[in-house]
Amino acid sequence: MSFAPLDPLLHNQLRLAVVSLLVGVDSAEFTFIVESTGATRGNISVQITKLKEAGYISVTKSFRDNYPLTTCKLTAKGLRAFEKYVEAIRGYLDK
Amino acid sequence: MERDMTPDESLRLIESMIGQAKKSFSRMSFYFLLWGVLLIGAMIATYIMRDAPPGPVQGAAWGVAGLIGGILSSIHGARQGKREPVNNPMDRVIGWLWGAFVITLLITIACTVPHHRDPGPMITLLTGLPTFMTGQILRFRPLIIGGMLFWFAGIIMHFTDDVLLLTVLYCSAMFFGYIVPGLMLKRQENVLRPA
Repeated sequence: MSFAPLDPLLHNQLRLAVVSLLVGVDSAEFTFIVESTGATRGNISVQITKLKEAGYISVTKSFRDNYPLTTCKLTAKGLRAFEKYVEAIRGYLDK
Repeated sequence: MERDMTPDESLRLIESMIGQAKKSFSRMSFYFLLWGVLLIGAMIATYIMRDAPPGPVQGAAWGVAGLIGGILSSIHGARQGKREPVNNPMDRVIGWLWGAFVITLLITIACTVPHHRDPGPMITLLTGLPTFMTGQILRFRPLIIGGMLFWFAGIIMHFTDDVLLLTVLYCSAMFFGYIVPGLMLKRQENVLRPA
C-alpha cells in the first residue's frame, strides 16, 4: 500500500491554518490571520514568509492611516498545493 | 503550533479555518438603522400629506429619503470597505443581494407610479427577501424574523386601502424588521469587533 507524500510546507499546523483561512476568502489582513489562528505575530510572520517564498501566497504591503498594512492572498499555485494536500490526507484516512 | 499532525487533525484544522473564513464580517447595523429611520420618516410624512393633490409633492418624502440614504450609505460603504480586515465572498453575496434588491425596487417604482398605482405593498413584500436572506447569511435570527414581518405586512397591505392601516403596517414592519434588528446587530458588532 503506497501513500501519497504530504507537502512538507503545508503539513505544519500553523502554515496549514493560514492557507486554509485564505482558501475561504479573497484576501485577508495580517492582523486577521493573527487573530484567527491565535498565534503570535512573529510566528505568523515567519510562516507567511515561507509560504510566500514557495509561491503559495502573495503578500501586499501598503499603508492605511499612516500605519503599515499587510494583506495576504492565496495564489493559484497555493490553491493547487492545498487541493493536492487535502486529497492526500483523504487518501490516508480512507486506507 | 509547530508540530506534525495526524491526517485527522489536519482535516479538522482545515474545516475549522475554512468555517471561520466563511463568516461574514460586514458591519451592517448602520444601514438598517439609517434606512429604518429614513423610511419611517418618509411614510409618516406621506401620511401627513395624504390630502395634498396627487403629484410630485406626495412622493417627495420618498425621494428625499432615498437621496439622503443613498448618499450616506455610499459614503459609509466606501469608508467601511477600506477598513475591512478580510475580503470575504459572503460579504460580496450580501452586497449583490441588496444591489439586486435596489434594482428591482427601482423597476417596481418605474412600473407602478406612472400608472398611479401604489408601489408600497409590493416594495414591502420585496423588502422581506434581502432582509430574510441577510439574516440567514449572518445567522442572525432577528433579521430572519424581520424579513418574515415584511412579507406578512406586504400581504395585508395588498388587501387594504386604509391609509392609516397602511402607514401603521409599514412603520411597524420597518421598526421591527430594520430598527430593532439593527440595534441588536450593532450591540453584537460592538462586542465581537469594536470599531
